[in-house]
Amino acid sequence: MLGGMSEAAIDTRDLRKTYRGRAVVDGLSLTVPRGEVFGFLGPNGAGKSTTVKMLLGLVQPSGGEIRVLGGRPNDPAVRARLGFLPEQFRFQTWMTASEFLDFHGRLAGLSAAERRTRIPEVLGEVGLGGRGHETLGGYSKGMLQRAGLAGAILARPELVFLDEPTSALDPIGRVEVREIIERLRARGAAVFLNSHLLSEVEQVCDRVAFVKAGRVLTQGSMRELMGGVLPVDLRVDTLTGGLLDTLARLGEVRRTDTNTQGRADVELWLTRDDQIPAVADAVHAAGARLYALTPRRPDLETMFLDLIEDTPEAARAGRGEVTRA
Amino acid sequence: MRNVLLIAELSLREATRKRLVSVLLVLSALFLGFFLFGVYRLEMRLDDRAVQAGLDGRSPTGAANLPVMFSALFGMYLVYFLGSLMGVLSTVGAVSGDIESGVMQSVIARPVSRAQLVAGRWLGFTAVNVAYVALLSAGLLGGVRLITGYTPPEALPAAALLLLAVTVLTSLTVLGSTLFTTLANGIGVFVLYGVGFTGGILSAIGTFADTPTLTSLGRVANALMPTNALWLGASYHLQPEIMRQVGEVSRGANPFTSSVPVEPLLVVWAAVLAALALLAAMWRFSRRDL
Ligand SMILES: Nc1ncnc2c1ncn2[C@@H]1O[C@H](COP(=O)(O)OP(=O)(O)OP(=O)(O)O)[C@@H](O)[C@H]1O
Ligand SMILES: [Mg+2]
Repeated sequence: MLGGMSEAAIDTRDLRKTYRGRAVVDGLSLTVPRGEVFGFLGPNGAGKSTTVKMLLGLVQPSGGEIRVLGGRPNDPAVRARLGFLPEQFRFQTWMTASEFLDFHGRLAGLSAAERRTRIPEVLGEVGLGGRGHETLGGYSKGMLQRAGLAGAILARPELVFLDEPTSALDPIGRVEVREIIERLRARGAAVFLNSHLLSEVEQVCDRVAFVKAGRVLTQGSMRELMGGVLPVDLRVDTLTGGLLDTLARLGEVRRTDTNTQGRADVELWLTRDDQIPAVADAVHAAGARLYALTPRRPDLETMFLDLIEDTPEAARAGRGEVTRA
Repeated sequence: MRNVLLIAELSLREATRKRLVSVLLVLSALFLGFFLFGVYRLEMRLDDRAVQAGLDGRSPTGAANLPVMFSALFGMYLVYFLGSLMGVLSTVGAVSGDIESGVMQSVIARPVSRAQLVAGRWLGFTAVNVAYVALLSAGLLGGVRLITGYTPPEALPAAALLLLAVTVLTSLTVLGSTLFTTLANGIGVFVLYGVGFTGGILSAIGTFADTPTLTSLGRVANALMPTNALWLGASYHLQPEIMRQVGEVSRGANPFTSSVPVEPLLVVWAAVLAALALLAAMWRFSRRDL
């Protein structure tokens, strides 16, 4: 554990994979530091799962370099510190969930005593407490994905790959997955999250990368990707000219709406968190009444659509003009 | 090695849980019961005839006991055939089945090497298949002995050759399941089994008609797929002297049994082939995308 602590969790350089002459992953260079939750976003067929499989040694790269936890994924000692939930969560249907976890625990090198305490623990964590004695053949789709998730976190991995971990889950399950990811982060584990569910990624990821046709279009923290802006929605009873001027000094007023009687909405783009209280102060000082002051998460979906539909250049140039109807 | 044993244990548990073992045991019991009932009726009939002819008993190795000898011999042929069939069918998806279902991904993401996984699967399935043929052979020969008092002269070397044959077949099937889909593998191994049988027929006719070309074709087929040659070697051990003499007279006319022992080199080659197939499977699977 101590050996490679200084190394990044994932480091790839110019990673490629071609299937029958077609580049599926095309020169991917990524660095994911330890303890980070990294979102890997892209449309269907972008090469997300293929990338994860290369990072796990399931697929041999056609070129480039991979370092995972400071070693090569083909090395079993490296894989001992990884967790993986495959996109297609199919497991031995003749096993009970406990047997499945016991088998994986043994493969991962957990002792019998560790397995005895850890298996009920992870089953509880994924919401399958008390159902470990049922065979996986009788599990529903969502239950199977939960069982797979339990397997992924079973051996207290340092890096967990989750390939669309909520594709079969109900809304409660999605919240639970978010909590699991947050617990992993709190424990210092890195998480590589493949998804096209933007809300999910928005809520948990420290950084994201957008991929399309095997290339990274852009990567960075959510704030960086939004060009450092923090959109805030403001609702007051009346919008005086003086207040508007003050707001314009604090940030960029993107939109105002005074069509409804006794109500005014403003969309304000700030640059720092600590400007939010200043907005409240300005409203007070202008004698207006404050109904809502809501910082909005960076709007990943708009960005996703921009990026995927256009070339990266066009998307970056166009983002400045985005106005919301 | 720990991982190999773990995977082997998993394969054994899988065979038990998927009712492979219970179906095999029940059907084998049915087969043995059916066959041994036939032997029992035969034995009564032969005893009747002996009494009618005014004899007070038959020598187990005398000509009068030839029908019993033949039934033990061909009973063992059925054991060889059933063992091969079952060996191929149980093992045909040993690796490919798990790749096709997607189960393999989560297993290989664990700290187990691909070579270990293939070795473990091979060990598990070989154990099941070898145990099956051993059990069936013991049941058949033991049953015949209980009913008629006859045991083939060299039952143990014969059984050893059959076990080697089923091991070769299992290894080749495991190799196939790292190369092809389950279905293609099943078809491929049966074709190979057919090649081995063809080898036996060609050799037999070649010897019979004194045609060296056919004999060498037969040799090639036997080298490719030595299982049939191993059975023929086993059949030699299962025949008392009197049967071998009968076989010598009709030399070549019967591709199912042989009146000459198997060449030791072929036995060695069969063992080497089994090992090579396993190594090739380990090598091939290590280079495959999942
Ligand atoms: N074994 C394979 N043989 C040939 N092509 C493949 C293979 N595996 C993946 N591909 C191709 O690689 C591309 C990327 O596949 P991948 O599964 O990585 O996409 P993805 O980003 O995970 O998509 P999704 O969001 O649908 O899961 C696809 O166009 C797919 O057709
Ligand atoms: Mg995918």
